[in-house]
Amino acid sequence: MRFIISLALKNLTRYKRRTIITAVAIAVGLMMYIVVDSILLGAEFESMRNLRWYETASARIMHPDYWEERLMRPLDISIDDPNTIVDALRKEGIAAAPRTMFSADLILYSDDFGEDGNMPVQVTAVDPELDNTVFRFEDTLIEGRFVESGTNELVIGSWFAEDIGAKVGYWVTLVTRGNGGFYEAMDMQIVGIVNCPNPNVNRTLLMVPIDTIGDYLAMEGAATEINIALPENAEIAEEVARIQQLIDPSGNDLLVVSWDDLARDYVALAEAKRGGTGMILFLVFIIAAVGISNTMLMAIYERIRELGMMRALGMNDRSIQLAFMVEAGGIGLIGSTIGVLLGIAINFYMVNVGIDFGLLMRDMDMGYRIQSSFRGTWSPSTIITAFFFGSILSMLVAWIPTRRALKMDIPSCLRHQ
Amino acid sequence: MYRSNNMKIRMMAIVVVALVSIATVGAMTAEDIVRQMDALETFETSYAEGEIVTTDRFGVKTSTFRSWSRGAYDSLIEFTSVAERGQKVLRTEGELYLFYPDAEELIRLQGAALRQSMLGSDISYEDMTGEKDTLSQYEVKLLGNERISGRDCFVLEFAAKTRTVAYPMQKVWVDTGTYMVWKGEFSTKAGRLLKEMAVLETMTVDNRTLPKITKISDKMKRDSATEMRLTHLDIDVDLDPVIFTLQNLTW
Repeated sequence: MRFIISLALKNLTRYKRRTIITAVAIAVGLMMYIVVDSILLGAEFESMRNLRWYETASARIMHPDYWEERLMRPLDISIDDPNTIVDALRKEGIAAAPRTMFSADLILYSDDFGEDGNMPVQVTAVDPELDNTVFRFEDTLIEGRFVESGTNELVIGSWFAEDIGAKVGYWVTLVTRGNGGFYEAMDMQIVGIVNCPNPNVNRTLLMVPIDTIGDYLAMEGAATEINIALPENAEIAEEVARIQQLIDPSGNDLLVVSWDDLARDYVALAEAKRGGTGMILFLVFIIAAVGISNTMLMAIYERIRELGMMRALGMNDRSIQLAFMVEAGGIGLIGSTIGVLLGIAINFYMVNVGIDFGLLMRDMDMGYRIQSSFRGTWSPSTIITAFFFGSILSMLVAWIPTRRALKMDIPSCLRHQ
Repeated sequence: MYRSNNMKIRMMAIVVVALVSIATVGAMTAEDIVRQMDALETFETSYAEGEIVTTDRFGVKTSTFRSWSRGAYDSLIEFTSVAERGQKVLRTEGELYLFYPDAEELIRLQGAALRQSMLGSDISYEDMTGEKDTLSQYEVKLLGNERISGRDCFVLEFAAKTRTVAYPMQKVWVDTGTYMVWKGEFSTKAGRLLKEMAVLETMTVDNRTLPKITKISDKMKRDSATEMRLTHLDIDVDLDPVIFTLQNLTW
């Protein structure tokens, strides 16, 4: 056995050029596999995080009927006393914040915007003190400041601001229907612009103080929802069940809904994308496998005469096959090691910097909740799989042509061109 | 001599009638005026044909329709213009249904959905379901008299009693002779003008003076207006009760 390993290693060093070319083919294939897997996993991970941080929170409490009618944003189906529930949750160590969502017509004036105009919008009324304990908008402010309680102030997403030409200091009017159905018109001044990493939010966000809106729309202290932030590693389903038990075990008056139910559209899309992701990885796998197979086949076929000579000198078929497979495994090992190291090096960049698809994402909704840079993520299982895949596949693809060559008689092997 | 006396008697009669009329009108309360106004707009039955002309920043769109109504609550509108042909809106007491023939789909509108605009106009589905019992929804005050379109009008101010009406404040100009509303201003509670309604042309049907062309302008949106033009109106006609049923809607 030692002789066989020694022979294989000698062959590796003797055919340096072939060893390097084959190892590079393996390395490039595995590196691609590691990087592509990292980007796709990273996009999914970051999308889910941006959903929870800026769109859905970890879970949401609302009236069961509101959940059914949520697309119409009815103000009359609300939570009567949200602050009591928020306080109860905070005592349990759960961060919570009330919000009121409503549809409105946004009226723009030529004095500020250059021309008059209007458009339908969705408005988010927030508690300026509590909202940042659940959502993460505090790091996204790029201009001005956040809204303050009791004021007619508004914060807008940066893409939305760009689209309508809004700047800090401009005035707009929101025309909407209050609790009960009466019309109300509210003049609001833009005091801040946020650049939210979640593109869906950044395209549409209009944030106003909940107490001001409560007065205008006759909410009488009610809110349409209470958003909850749970730790990143929390078992969401268990926590949702616990909170439901805590606030309303019957579920008749209040319903707790987890973020993945709130973002069903994204979850469905993510599942569909996962199928596509699997296909992409499979193709990368095939490319890597074909590359490795091709170089190994060439390496074996060009050495059939050598193989014939070894047989003529009395080396048995099993030992010859083993020697070739160990040699192929060696090439696979070198290629896999280089591929994994290259993959880790590139992934280090992908995790920390990423690729900026901002221009593409600005005008296109790909479903991912990523605004600009697609970053990778670390997946040890992928790296380990890639390493073993490269080494074992090299041995497997060497086995087939070696076996075929061993079936030839010795003179044919020696005459092989 | 006889002729002269006769003339005097006729003159006196006219003066007496005029004085009695003025006294009657003067004695009318704001509530009486509103009752007359509501009565004018409520028919036993009616059949109408007309068009809705919607103007916004994208241009002008015309939709034609025919409609049937019965009492204060039941009505059916069927759109006849090419783009909306066969679409129907059925209103019964407290309920409103839409039928889309292409999708063969019947939709019941309720709650917030009633506030959507009808065919992109300045008229909402809710405006159609509005019950003609103004006094149950508004406190009314008579502000005085003004002339609108050459007619003497009562100026009334409505303040909503509940939050369930669309316009918390309204100011309307009601013809002192016919009780037709010539003009309306619809505002928020703080008095911000949202919509304005004006009758541009009238017609007389069955001794009633009714609006023929009504213009509704959204004062919050530039260049946004809707004109409702009636081209034909029959009042108190025989209508098959089946017209106001769901079964009829889907045929």
